[in-house]
Amino acid sequence: MIEREQYDPGPANVARIHNDGEKRTLVLSRELRHAPEKVWQALTDPAHLREWAPFDSDGSLGMPGATVNLTTVGLPTPRVTETRVKRADAPRLLEYNWGGFDLRWELEAVDGGTRLTLWINIDPRFIAMGAAGWHICLDVLDRLLAGNPIGRIAGPKAMVFNGWKRLHAEYARQFGTESANQAPKAEH
Amino acid sequence: MTIKLTSVYVDDQSKALRFYTEVLGFAKKADFSNGPYRWLTVASPEEPEGTQLQLALNNNPAAKVYQEAMFQQGQPAAMFYTNDVKGDYEQIKARGAEFTMPPTGVPGATIAKLNDTCGNLIQLTQLARW
Repeated sequence: MIEREQYDPGPANVARIHNDGEKRTLVLSRELRHAPEKVWQALTDPAHLREWAPFDSDGSLGMPGATVNLTTVGLPTPRVTETRVKRADAPRLLEYNWGGFDLRWELEAVDGGTRLTLWINIDPRFIAMGAAGWHICLDVLDRLLAGNPIGRIAGPKAMVFNGWKRLHAEYARQFGTESANQAPKAEH
Repeated sequence: MTIKLTSVYVDDQSKALRFYTEVLGFAKKADFSNGPYRWLTVASPEEPEGTQLQLALNNNPAAKVYQEAMFQQGQPAAMFYTNDVKGDYEQIKARGAEFTMPPTGVPGATIAKLNDTCGNLIQLTQLARW
């Protein structure tokens, strides 16, 4: 696990916010040095998801209309949410819902690799947290695809990780969101 | 060993946060999200580093049955201590809370009970001075 110990998520330049009127959508975009077909498999196959995603799936996410159970990683008691795959247009577009948030994955072939874009209509209070978490997940995905898996860094494992804390602070500053965790102040 | 945290189940975490901060006067302490999961705690502004109260989403069918039964029996899910139960009663009531028991003397204490609107009765306790 030397790779994992040396892993540093780099600058907070993977996520941005897309504003559409009142609606704020978290968008992460990065180029992967792998073909869309290979990236698609990592996004949909349960054995691949287990290596990088913040949830486990009990079935393939690659079948439109399929119903699968997604189990959030690293909780004291299992949290399972049922989801229906809304769109699965291999290897270009994947849409499903995770715990109330719509996830939309776009894969675009560029120079033998893939430009991967993730859109999430995450709760605005957690937008910087989500940006940091998914930033790290996509890094882990990139290394997995390159044949250098460093092991999933998600849930509580991500939050105790120094890179996550720095990313969270940097994204919160960029997005102009307050930190969700402050010491209580006396109000009365 | 210390007791640093206790939990109540709530039917809606956002609603609970509003009630426990705006009506009861606690302050948000931790609020983390991990996909569908939300770790949410409040603490007393009088004791910011004191015991935290976790507002845990009740999505457990067994816990729901238990919670409803306790509510029906008038059993509080949590108990908060105060030095002025009558003052707190007036203030919390003025902020819109429904009390199922106004300040009432019992051996050794004065207590009041209110509905937290999230599935629980909460007891306020002021110990008698000896």
